[in-house]
Amino acid sequence: MTLLKHELKRNGKALLIWSMCVGAVCFGCLLLFESLAETMKSMAGLYAGMGIFAKALGMDRLSIATMEGFYSTEIGLIFATGGAMYAAMTGAAMLSKEEEGHTGEFLYTLPLGRLAIVRWKYLAMLVLVLLFQAIGIVWETAGFALAGEMPAPREYALYHLAQLLMQAEIGSICFLISSLSRKKQTGAALGLAVLLYLADLLCRVMPSIENLKYVTPYYFSNATDIFAEGTINMPLAALSFAVTAAAGICAGMIYERRDLAA
Amino acid sequence: MSEKLMAVEIKGLTKNYGRKRGVRDISLSVREGDMFGFLGPNGAGKSTVIRSMLGLLRFQEGSIRLLGLDAVSNQREIMKKVGYMPSEPFFYPDMKVRDVIRFAAEARGLDCREEARKICCLLAVEEEKRIRELSLGNRKKVSIVCALQHRPELLILDEPTSGLDPLMQEAFFQLLLEYNRQGTTCFLSSHVLSEVKKYCANAAVIREGRIIRTDSVEQLSRSRVRRVRIWKNGKEESFSYAEGMKELVHRLDEMQVDDVLIEEPPLEELFMDFYERAEEDGNDIIEA
Repeated sequence: MTLLKHELKRNGKALLIWSMCVGAVCFGCLLLFESLAETMKSMAGLYAGMGIFAKALGMDRLSIATMEGFYSTEIGLIFATGGAMYAAMTGAAMLSKEEEGHTGEFLYTLPLGRLAIVRWKYLAMLVLVLLFQAIGIVWETAGFALAGEMPAPREYALYHLAQLLMQAEIGSICFLISSLSRKKQTGAALGLAVLLYLADLLCRVMPSIENLKYVTPYYFSNATDIFAEGTINMPLAALSFAVTAAAGICAGMIYERRDLAA
Repeated sequence: MSEKLMAVEIKGLTKNYGRKRGVRDISLSVREGDMFGFLGPNGAGKSTVIRSMLGLLRFQEGSIRLLGLDAVSNQREIMKKVGYMPSEPFFYPDMKVRDVIRFAAEARGLDCREEARKICCLLAVEEEKRIRELSLGNRKKVSIVCALQHRPELLILDEPTSGLDPLMQEAFFQLLLEYNRQGTTCFLSSHVLSEVKKYCANAAVIREGRIIRTDSVEQLSRSRVRRVRIWKNGKEESFSYAEGMKELVHRLDEMQVDDVLIEEPPLEELFMDFYERAEEDGNDIIEA
C-alpha cells in the first residue's frame, strides 16, 4: 500500500494534466455541438457519400448530426486516442523510470520484494488508468448536461468499460516493454498507441487485413460500434483481458530474473 | 575464538556480465558484530559483490547468506534487517528529504521518527529541502539516515565517505562505531586504505574480480612496500621500496637527500605487493 500511494503521488501531476486536457477537449466539443448542429447536418450528408472513409469512422451507422453520433465518431476518438496515449506513457515509465533515474538501488533494497514492487506498480498503473476514465467521465457528463442531452446510459457505460479495458491492455503491453528496458520508452509507447489506432482504421476498410481486429484493442472498444449495436464484442474483449493479464504476468517474470542497473 | 554467527557468508560467488568481467569465485565471511573492510580499486568488483548480496544482481554460481538466511530466497526478510548505503545515492528529485526518510521507514512498516531525528540532527540534514536541491554530500547524508534509522543488524556501505567533507566523515564514522558497539555488523567497501585501517578489524582485498587476500587489517597493513618521497636540491622524487629499513637508511644516506617522507603506498602498489606475495607463496589467494 505504501508503494501504491507513492506511485499515485508521483504520477498525480501527469494524470491531472492528461485527464484535464483530454477531458476539457471532450467537454468543449460537446458544448460546440449545439452551435454546430446545422453544419453537422450538411456534413452528415457529405460523409455519407465518402464510402470507406465514412465506414472507417462508423459514420455509416450513426449520424454525426445527432448527439450520440457526434460523440461516438468525434469525441470518442479524442478520448480513445488521448486515453491510450496516457496509458501507454504511464505503463512504459512505471518500471524503467527507477533504473533511468537511478532510484532502483534505493527502492529495491527496501524490504518490499522485487515481485511485490512489480505487483504494486502494475496496480498503480491500473488505478491511474481508472482515475483517468473517472475524470474524463466527469468532464463529459458535465458537457452532456450543459448541452442538454444525455447519452444512452447503458451504451455509455459499456463504452467506458471497453475504454478502460483497452487502456489497461495498452498500458500493460507498455508495462511489459518497461520491464525489459533500462530507459523510459516513451516514444515507442506513443508510437504503439498510434499504430494500434491506425490498425483499427485500416482493418475496418480493408477486408484483407480484417484479422488485425484481433490485434488492436481499439476495435472492440470503438464508440460507434458500441452505440450502434448496444453491446461489446465479447470474444475480442476477453482476448484483450487475456493479453492484459499475460503482459502483467510476463513483466513480473522478466523483472524478477533481471539484473537491475545502478 | 568465540562462536559468533556469520553475518555474511559468501561461497564461490561468480557473476559474469556477458563478455565483460564480473567477479569470479568470491568467498568470504564476516562475523556478527565485526567491522569488515572490503578493499579494492575502482572497477575491481566491489559493487558487483554488494549488489549481488542485496539481490539487485542475479549471479550465475555460488551462494550468499546474510544473517543466516539465503540472500536469494529470503531477500525481503533480509532487507528488513539490513541497511544499505550506495556509493552514489539517488532519490526521487521532487520529494522532500523528510518524505524520502518517512517513505523508507514506512516501507519497513516501522516508526523510525525518533532515530531518524537523532541522526538528522547529528549530520545536520536539511529535511525541508527537495532532493533535487541537494549536493552529492547532502544526498549521502539522507542515505545514511535511510540506512540507519531502523537500527539494522547488518550495514552494507559502498564507498560511504566519497562526497562527504572530512568533518562529516568523522561524524559518520563515530555514528558507525556507535551502532557497531550496539551489535550492528558493518560491511564497508572502500578504496581508501586509511579508513579501513582506522575503523575495521578485518578486511578482504579484491582485484580484477577475485579476492586476493582476506586477513585482519593489522596483518594486511604489514606490507613491505613503502612510498618514499625525497627532496634534493629543491627537486622532488619518489619511489617504492620493499626491502629492509636498514638498507633504505643506507640508500638515503648515499643519496644525500635534504628531506624525506616515508608513507603508505597507494592502494594499487599495495595490491601489487599482495600479488607478489601470493605468487611467492605459490597461492592465488591468501586467506587469514
